[in-house]
Formats: sequence, C-alpha cells, structure tokens
Amino acid sequence: MTHPLQPEPSKFAVELNGCTKEFATPGGGSYFAVRDIDLKVEPGRFVSIVGPTGSGKSTILNMAAGLLNPSSGTVHSFGEAVHGVNRRASYMFQQDALLPWKSVIDNVSLGLTMAGVSKAEAYDESRRWLEKVGLKNFADRYPHQLSGGMRKRTAVAQAWIVNPDILLMDEPFSALDVQTRQIMENELLQLWQESDKAVVFITHDLDEAIALSDEVVILGAGPGSTVVGSYEIDIPRPRDLLDIRDDPKFVELHREIWGRLKVEVSKTYESAREEEESDAA
Amino acid sequence: MTVAPVSKKTQRFPLRKDRGAPAAQHPKRRRGEASNFSIRMGQLALAAVVLGAWEVLGRVGVIDPFFFPLPSDILMTVWVWISSGFVFPHLWITLQESILAFLTGAAAGLVLGFLLARVLFLERLLDPFLQMFNALPRVVLAPIFLLWFGLGIWSKVAFGFTLVFFIVFFNTLEGVKSVDRVLVDNARMLGASEKQLLRHVFIPSALTWIFSSLHISVGFAITGAVVGEYLGASAGVGYAIAQAQGVFDTKGVFAGMFILMFVVLIIDLLVNRLERRLLRWRPVRSS
Repeated sequence: MTHPLQPEPSKFAVELNGCTKEFATPGGGSYFAVRDIDLKVEPGRFVSIVGPTGSGKSTILNMAAGLLNPSSGTVHSFGEAVHGVNRRASYMFQQDALLPWKSVIDNVSLGLTMAGVSKAEAYDESRRWLEKVGLKNFADRYPHQLSGGMRKRTAVAQAWIVNPDILLMDEPFSALDVQTRQIMENELLQLWQESDKAVVFITHDLDEAIALSDEVVILGAGPGSTVVGSYEIDIPRPRDLLDIRDDPKFVELHREIWGRLKVEVSKTYESAREEEESDAA
Repeated sequence: MTVAPVSKKTQRFPLRKDRGAPAAQHPKRRRGEASNFSIRMGQLALAAVVLGAWEVLGRVGVIDPFFFPLPSDILMTVWVWISSGFVFPHLWITLQESILAFLTGAAAGLVLGFLLARVLFLERLLDPFLQMFNALPRVVLAPIFLLWFGLGIWSKVAFGFTLVFFIVFFNTLEGVKSVDRVLVDNARMLGASEKQLLRHVFIPSALTWIFSSLHISVGFAITGAVVGEYLGASAGVGYAIAQAQGVFDTKGVFAGMFILMFVVLIIDLLVNRLERRLLRWRPVRSS
C-alpha cells in the first residue's frame, strides 16, 4: 500500500509534536519517561515503534490514545487536539483487557451498545466479526474459558467492530507462543489491508516490526528517550509473513536498523549493569 | 503505563479472606483426596461421636448437665419451643431486625463505598473519621442506642446497621479501587461514559468483593439483633435466651443458640445460591 500523496500537515491520523512526559517518583522527585517525541502517522499507514526495555513505548501510545496527557507538547488526531480519550482510536492492550464477567459476544458488542446501537443490531454485527476471527462457535463463552490466542482474537474483534480510524496496539501478541503469534500477525495484516486504518504498533521485536510495517521508528535508551531513527520499509505488499524473513530486502533492512537499535539496546544494558554494580558496592 | 496495579491494601481487611479474594486460584485437587461421599460420611461420624460423647459423659456425671445440658435435653427443648410455637414470634422479631439492619447497612455501605472510591476528595476528607468509627468496638454503642431508640426493634436495627455498614463499605471501596486499570482503560477507549464505566466495569468487578462480605455481613446483622435484644428488649430470640439465662435454664440458652445457628445456615445457603447465579462468569472452583 503506497501513499504517493502527502496529506496536509493537519490531517495526520496521529501527530505528536515535542511531547515530553514526566512522572513523579514515590521519593518526591520526577523522571522523564520520554522527551521531545515527534511522531506523525498518515491515515492508512502501518507504523511500528521499536525500542529497548524502558524506552517509554507504551507512554507514547497512551498519549496518542488520550489516556495520558503529555507534560509538554501537543497531540493531534486528524487535525483536532486530543483532550481526554481519542474517540477515533481503538486500543489493543498487551494484557487481557476483556471484561471477565461478559461473554465473548457481549465483550465484542460492548463498543456498539455503549454508543447506543440496539442490542439486536450489535449482536448481528458481533456475530459477523466473530466469524471473521474464527470464533463463531464461542459467542457464549466467558473469557476464562478461552485460550490465550482466542482471547486475542476476541480483543481484535472488540477493537475493530467500532470501525476506528486508528488502531493503537501495545505488543498485543507478545504473550502468545511463536506459532500462534505468526498466525495472528498474518490475520491482522489481512484485516488491515482490507481497511484504510492507521496502525501504531508497539513491539520490542524488530523482525515483527519490519515484517508488518510501512515505517519503523526507533526509540533511544530510557529514561528520557526520544526518537533516534525512522526507516521506510518498502517491501512490496501483500507480504507473506511466513517467508518474509528470507527476503533479501528484509535481510538488508534488518541489518541496517539493527545496527542502530543495537547501540540503544547496549546502552540500556550498560546502565542497568552500572546500577546493579553501584547497588552492590 | 498500563501495568495492572497490585493492591497494596489487599491485606488491610482480613475478613474478606474468608471466601477468598476474587482472583484467587483454587489449588488443584490433591492426590489421595477423599471423595465427596466419604467426606460427608466422615462429617456425620464426627458429629455423632462428639454429641454421643457429650451425652454419655453427661449421663455418667463426668460433666455437669446443669452447665452443659445433655444433647437429648437440648433437642427436646428445641422441639418444645418449636411445637408450642413459642419461638416463632421471637424469631420473627429477630429476623425483622436483621433484615432491616442488613438492608439499610448494605445500601449505605454500597453507596458510600462507590462514592468514595470514585471521588478521591471525599475519600481523603472522610478517611480518618471512618477509621475512627471502625476502630470503635461496636458493642459499646448498644447501650446508647437503647437510650436513643428505646426497647423496640429500632435500637437493634441501628446497632446491626453499624456492624453491616462498615463491612460492606470497606469491601466496596476496596473492590472498586482494585479494579484492573487495563479494564477501565479498555472500556474508556471503547467509548464508555462515567455511568457506563460504573455499570459495565466497576459494579461487576466490585460484586465479587461485595459477595465475599455478604456472608459475613448477614451474620453480623443477626449478631447485632441478638446482642441488642440480649441487652434490653421485650421480644426476640436474644430476649428469649436472656430470659432462660435469668432462671438458670441452660437448656433454653442452648436451644436458642441451636435455633439461631440453623436459621443463619439456611440464610447463608440462600446467599450462596444468589452468589453462584450472579457470579457465574467466574472460573469454577472446587469448593
């Protein structure tokens, strides 16, 4: 999917300008989670954010979602400033976020019923989505009766049913085993290709980021990390995720981006080790 | 960050441990554990042995039947109280007081619990006062309630109210506050208003905590009624026990105890039923 036309600056699906987030520490001090983040995501683009542990990836996503307010800087979505929850976005969390007291179909239809859609209509739409994610026979189950992969499928249906313009995904598949994960990635890519949604995808797995995205953004070592690089992934679509790791272009991009990411990862590792040593001393 | 918060206060209120914290995993059945049937048989045998020993030791004079009346005599007294209809008006009064105390206490505890959990300002404002009242041993309130509300049912209702209220209140507060942050964020991202958050997330989540307190608060409502009657009343099971004690009728005291025990057991069974219905989404536990 290519986008030859650059949209107007105010029409980015997600636009973070100079966003800094400062958290108070229990000791009364404060620390910067992220500093001066600039991030622009065009409508319909798949952008991954990769960074070492503690680089504030989730903080960035939560600011885009409107769940966190930046300490300084601005967040815009389709030209409008984000105050409170970003109504044009859905969020897929790393943890299980399904309501355990609602059946699968009630979980999936939640976004629609809360928006005032009649229950019958919401159920019809939910059944369509459950069929799409392969859970048609599990509508009446409760989340605890499903496997991890099935819960993620339910979460996908729950997030997509409200037809958002933006999907924010925070390592959604990190808890799954490798095979299930690849299947889920493939299905996600298929759903996305049929849509025109912007995706901001957070992962610590560079392979996953390159395989899925149009653009990979690299975050520096935390705390107070910022964007240190951005790479265009011009591997043609549709992509076959099962074989993409042998693609020469993939290999080349991987080498290039990893060269940059490696520096940040070892910085994180070094500072963690220094802390350990100073603790031991 | 959306890391699920681990409640630091989980241990603050030990009573809820009674039925297990909502998310507690039940251990798998261990190897060599006896089947349900043999457990039941064992329980019957244990009860028979204890009551039998009591009866025999009383009859041969090892224990004094004046202080520990024979089980057979207690049973006779229970039967006389029931068959003559003597106990029913008293039981009815006690139940009325308990039900009223439970309903008002639970309602007030729920409302205030939800309110304080959602409005941080109120919680911080009222916290020391609530802690103070909670620290007060409630039994000392019974005499003053007798003076305020008289010998009728209302002094007992007020007393039971103070017992029930705090249990339900603290459990509701903790239940609402310990709701998984991710569930709230997810519902908000799906467009939930404050009212919808309450209905779809906070109330169902707090329900597990409220139910774990329900068994205890039902018991406390009855305790409140009986203790209140015991201290001063003109009717009720507590009054009947106090009357029996006044004439050194230990059989009557024990009969009153047994009748109360069975009433509470039956009520607890009903609460269990209700709990199973309302919390059927929970993983089945083997208890």
